Amino acid sequence: MDTEFAGEVWAENPDAILAIAPDGRLLHWNRAAQDIFGYTCAEALGLSMTDLIVPRDRVAEEMKIQTDVIAGAVAIYESVRKRKDDSLVHVSISSKAVLHADGSLRYILSTNKDVTHLKSLRDSKLVESKFRDLLESTPDAIVMVNVTGRIVLVNSQAEKVFGFDRTALVGKPVEMLLPERFRLGHNAHRANYFSQPRTRTMGAGLELYGLRSDGDEFPVEISLSPLETEEGTMVMSAVRDITDRRKAEQKFRGLMESAPDAMIIVGRDGKITLVNSQAERLFGYQRAELLGQSVELLVPDRFQGKHPGHRGEFFAQPTPRSMGAGMELKALRKDGSEFPVEISLSPLETEEGTLVMSAIRDISDREQAEKKFKDLLEAAPDAMIIVNRSGEIVLVNTQAERLFGYPRSELLGLLVEMLVPPRYREKHPGHRTHFFSRPRARSMGEGLELYGLRKDGSEFPVEISLSPLETADGMLVSSAIRDATQRKRYELALHEANRLKSQFLANMSHELRTPLNGIIGFSEFLIDGKPGSLNATQKEYLDDILNSGRHLLRLINDVLDLSKIEAGKMELWPETFLVQQALEEACSVIIPLATKKSISVRQKIAAKLLSVTLDRQKFVQVLLNLLSNAVKFTDDGGAVQIDVDYEGAANLRLRVRDNGIGISPGDFAHLFVEFQQLDSGSARRFGGTGLGLALTKKIIECQHGRISVISNLGQGSTFTVILPLPAGAPDLVPSAPGEL
Amino acid sequence: MSHILIVDDNVVNLKLATRVLEAAGFSISQATDAEQAQQMLAEFVPALILMDIGLPGMDGLSLTRKLKADERFEHVPIVALTASAMKGDDQKAIDAGCEGYITKPIDTRELPRQVQTYLDSKPRSASRN
Repeated sequence: MDTEFAGEVWAENPDAILAIAPDGRLLHWNRAAQDIFGYTCAEALGLSMTDLIVPRDRVAEEMKIQTDVIAGAVAIYESVRKRKDDSLVHVSISSKAVLHADGSLRYILSTNKDVTHLKSLRDSKLVESKFRDLLESTPDAIVMVNVTGRIVLVNSQAEKVFGFDRTALVGKPVEMLLPERFRLGHNAHRANYFSQPRTRTMGAGLELYGLRSDGDEFPVEISLSPLETEEGTMVMSAVRDITDRRKAEQKFRGLMESAPDAMIIVGRDGKITLVNSQAERLFGYQRAELLGQSVELLVPDRFQGKHPGHRGEFFAQPTPRSMGAGMELKALRKDGSEFPVEISLSPLETEEGTLVMSAIRDISDREQAEKKFKDLLEAAPDAMIIVNRSGEIVLVNTQAERLFGYPRSELLGLLVEMLVPPRYREKHPGHRTHFFSRPRARSMGEGLELYGLRKDGSEFPVEISLSPLETADGMLVSSAIRDATQRKRYELALHEANRLKSQFLANMSHELRTPLNGIIGFSEFLIDGKPGSLNATQKEYLDDILNSGRHLLRLINDVLDLSKIEAGKMELWPETFLVQQALEEACSVIIPLATKKSISVRQKIAAKLLSVTLDRQKFVQVLLNLLSNAVKFTDDGGAVQIDVDYEGAANLRLRVRDNGIGISPGDFAHLFVEFQQLDSGSARRFGGTGLGLALTKKIIECQHGRISVISNLGQGSTFTVILPLPAGAPDLVPSAPGEL
Repeated sequence: MSHILIVDDNVVNLKLATRVLEAAGFSISQATDAEQAQQMLAEFVPALILMDIGLPGMDGLSLTRKLKADERFEHVPIVALTASAMKGDDQKAIDAGCEGYITKPIDTRELPRQVQTYLDSKPRSASRN
């Protein structure tokens, strides 16, 4: 053989040929070595073989074999080598030592044949016979892999899951069942596993995917267990297709995201396993910062100690409930701030066991609103008691505590009937039901005397206003309760004062009239000359006494009338009478006065107007007042005109017109006010009580009528009275006009 | 000549009514309270009694009721003199058994005629209300 050919054979040798220096450095690296181990010649030469291609766990074994070789043996064995990409290859190795002339080691020559595939087939045969039946009976897909990552056994579930026939799988790198993006990293993981083989879940916390023959990916869960055989350690991976579970999980997550509340799912150990974005926002954490953390992270320090205990209680009896019912719960944000929350808990059965799902609602706004409402309640002057549909007191203010003598703690939850005297209790729930059926703000028991009952058993009169209150907890009724004791006392006092006033007026009337009886009576008696004749001067003075007495009497009568009207005691005595007759009666009094001043008094009654139904006496009184005013304020030779007619169908209109001195516009305002004759001089000039028009107006108004005046200063005045007539009162038709 | 008893505690008013009625020709007896009136009525039965209702001690209405219950007086007209203008006093007088009432201050020109009218009309039934 020429050297060139020999060199070519050397180079083309299908097995890797390595020369290793006594210190372990590589001295020779042929093309086949490059193919098998993945390192180029330049990368390999000068490096230590043990560092480069011997897996760490094989180093000791290698060193021992090397010692044997140096001792003169040719070693032929199989081993595992590491490739540049961290994957492993099975090699069949022949090594011998090449010595110096002095017998010292020059280098070790080693040929390495790649038997990965052969070994896989061998392994396959081995495990097939040993484990096949066993694996077929497991529900999971099983893929068994040898140390070089070659598939040595699959069960039919695995064929089904991945869509490959077993012949297409056996001997192939297991990476063919992985999506491409995971393949590179997988070698390293596998190497790690073989260095520390134990049963475990693959890629804890990571999402794993398998690759089907049709190129589809699917989520998987994989558990790994090592299996020692005479051909070395194998790895059995049980693969579970979790597509359905993942879908369910996604649905569940979607559900959680769509919930309005922050949702946090926690395991028995208190670790957070799931949160929604509302929870992230509410607590100010990123999802990754929460998952796997203890939920106590979200609980203020002072509550943290007891929290795990409460969790234990929940898991002991996992039923849906509100957390810490009746207590004020606080939660802790990442920034350290606290906020009030309402939390509902419910158990969640999962494959990982029972979890607790907590829905957390920030109630800051509600608490603020409630606080505002409570402040408002406290600011109310009345006692406020808020009651629910079943009559339980749910809210009170301090005034209510004071009024009823109960501390707040005793009032809350108490049936409101306890604040009602026993004799009213039975009917009270019925009234309440009625209120809730037609809720509107109103006074309680209008027109009735209501009483409250204090804790000490004493009763007191109350006034109560009710109003409906819409709240998150449903309709409530808010009652404002006022102690009416004082008002009752005032009312009684007022009533008594009124009675005394009436009594006083009656007495005064009697007492004032009695002496007037003598003054007026004896004046008349003397003027009439009964005891003897008088001279002109004596008669004149007696006339003055008589007129003064009569004026005083009129004054007393008017004051009495006004007082009666003001006390609401003016009684009306309607009767049907002929208008003409009433007019005549008034005129008979007025005409003598008018005649003295040469004032003409004319009357006009509408032809259709015969009789009316009114208080006759008051009608005449009004007419007299207006006529005497007209005559009084009209100069000698003037005229007074009376008109009576219907105003519409339902009213009587009485009009008294004069052409006297009139009224200036500025005086209109005082015209109908008591004791306000228009200027202080007029009383002296015109006489009169100053009560006439005020009284007239009141008499008209207590018959629901009205009076108005039109006047021009110096040209006269027209007073118009409108009096409503009772509906349906028939006109009295005189049997014969001649009788009038 | 009709004999009339006037009962009034106010002596001026008593005198006025007396003089006015005497001037009209009536014969008058006077009493200033119920007790005095009853003493006098033990002696005689007047044709008419003018009774002030606001008497001290037993008031005029009580005296009226008492007299109307007595068969000696049940046919004697009793006319109340009322100074009070309070509505209802008139009715009280009628209810007590009075045949009528005259409001004070009296009209001296009308009083004799009013009294004669009551004398002429038939007295009310003795039955009490």
